[in-house]
Amino acid sequence: MSKSEYFPQKIYVEKKSFDFPLTKRILKNVGPVPREVIDDPQEVLDDIKATKDIIGEGKKYLLITRQKGEFVKPCPCTPGYLGCNYFILNIDLNCPLDCSYCILQHYLTNPLITVHVNLEDLWRQLDIFLHRKRLRTIRVGTGELGDSLALDHITGNSLHLVSYFRKKRNAIFELKTKTVNIKNILKIEPAPNVVIAWSLNSSRIAHDEEKGAPSVEERIDAARRVSETGFRIGFHFDPIIRHPDWEKGYEEVIKKLLETVDPARIAWISLGSLRFPASLKAIIEERFPKTKIIYDEFIKGKDGKLRYFKPLRLELYKKIVGFIRAWGGEEIPLYFCMESEDIWREAMGWVPKGEENLEAYLSFPLG
Amino acid sequence: MKKKNLSLKEISLEDERFRISYYFSLEKLILSIQKVSGWKRVLACIKLGMSSLPVFVTEEEDELKTFLAAFYENLATREFYLLEKAEILSRLKKFGEDEKKIVQRYLPLLDIPSTLSNLESYLAFSRFEPELKRIIHEKNMPFSSVKLLAGYNPQERKSLLPLLLPSGQNRMKEILEDLMEISRRNDIAPQKILSSKEVLDIMGHEKLSPLQKADKIRFFLKKKRYPALSSRKESFDYLLNKLRLPKTIVVKPSPFFEEENFSVNFSFGNSEELKTNLLKLQELTSKQEFSAIFKLK
Repeated sequence: MSKSEYFPQKIYVEKKSFDFPLTKRILKNVGPVPREVIDDPQEVLDDIKATKDIIGEGKKYLLITRQKGEFVKPCPCTPGYLGCNYFILNIDLNCPLDCSYCILQHYLTNPLITVHVNLEDLWRQLDIFLHRKRLRTIRVGTGELGDSLALDHITGNSLHLVSYFRKKRNAIFELKTKTVNIKNILKIEPAPNVVIAWSLNSSRIAHDEEKGAPSVEERIDAARRVSETGFRIGFHFDPIIRHPDWEKGYEEVIKKLLETVDPARIAWISLGSLRFPASLKAIIEERFPKTKIIYDEFIKGKDGKLRYFKPLRLELYKKIVGFIRAWGGEEIPLYFCMESEDIWREAMGWVPKGEENLEAYLSFPLG
Repeated sequence: MKKKNLSLKEISLEDERFRISYYFSLEKLILSIQKVSGWKRVLACIKLGMSSLPVFVTEEEDELKTFLAAFYENLATREFYLLEKAEILSRLKKFGEDEKKIVQRYLPLLDIPSTLSNLESYLAFSRFEPELKRIIHEKNMPFSSVKLLAGYNPQERKSLLPLLLPSGQNRMKEILEDLMEISRRNDIAPQKILSSKEVLDIMGHEKLSPLQKADKIRFFLKKKRYPALSSRKESFDYLLNKLRLPKTIVVKPSPFFEEENFSVNFSFGNSEELKTNLLKLQELTSKQEFSAIFKLK
């Protein structure tokens, strides 16, 4: 997959999704891409299953369908570790990028790049959800089951989402991406409660393990351009991966980041080390036979997922927190994704008193 | 089909093209024999000393169709073993069945998730060496372990046999997994690890039983695969040893030292034993080795 904008080889439109405005917008924006109206996506899935690389094959096709369940869900987080009280919006499922470690390879049963087009249901569900949570500041994002901006040149969803959340002051809305697909974002008026965030990694991991994603330098440059328009930006070092010279690799990226963007514009940086369910390992081995990242010292954590043996995690976190603080990020709110209290205590020097405390800590810089 | 009375000498047991059954007990079958129409039953008749038997002779010349007739007959009456499934899929491919059709139609019939990758795994199993196939069947090795074996070359698989033979399913899987992962992580061929001095010393040890050898090699591989965790465990065991705890008191870290807490277990039959254990535990808290345990968190 090229690092330029994603266009599917073919679009499948579920019959009942054909008349939605977003469907029409997508079909217009993709230009001469072949399209087919189908009754049931299962027909397409059966054919894909007879190919060698089901997940890779699925990325070639875009499915337009409706969200039949809830658009807004609490981030599943993980039992036994501290959560950050995040909510996810499931508009797009799956991602045209092909990162070796991606949890979606295990998590999603449908390998097609999928867009849910019944946005009227989304706005209605969001109104109800935010009204119920009106006494709290809620963090919501779209980047859990797909990349928030990878399809934005086709869907234009960022424009609508930013417009919606601009008026919802009890919500902090985050678009999370590895792409530089920021044309729409650069066109719109920034909103103080909207954060545009990038997943970052060492250049070596980005190059070897994040197939199809722009380089780390390109991502940082895109973040700079977005922050200069007035948006706040965020970063996620997740998954942090041990590899030869990892200290040097992560320090270089952090130095570059904090020299390029104004640290005062950074709403937060999250840290999370590589973790995965045991069943993902077999998928990674089969799809990425050259990768070595799964052969480090992983143990079964309290949630049953494989994660680095604790002293190794702690070493990663302490170094990276130190690099951020040393290169000018002393005031940037940092948090861990799915970590235990003792890791918080030893690497950050404090432990949030529950999810709401963490929520307040991350909301504070936005006023 | 024509019905004939055929001499058993005329039935070729060397032609295995349409053979489905590989793993069975002939003795059980002999007791229930009534008529002959399959592989196992011919063997049973020979063993019973029969000279001829009535058979239906097929006029079908298409090998695929003939094989499918045998396949469906077996499918209706019994479940297949893992390696039988591998043979069936291999024959289907050999007789020209379309790969996509095998994935979509035959894999579900064999209770295998219908993906091309699964088909490829089973085809690889069908090419295994006969000795290895026998062990896989006898040990009732699960798909996940057999798939690990497919990652090794024939020479490596041969070297692994002495380790697999005495081990149970879980230990076999550990050996296969750890060896492969060390090899991939360190870019060293599995054969080179298996030919290392440490492994050869264990294998050449005269006083160790095959199971003890396999176990020692399993520990050796585990230590190589998880050096930091193994070293932490060794330190913990060393400190615990120095505490000279009575056998009735067991101190354990959390699994993989992931949690901060340790646990103490002891049993007692009366209040005197309880008191002795509690006093012993109280003594422990003042020992230096006991404080050192907490630094292992």
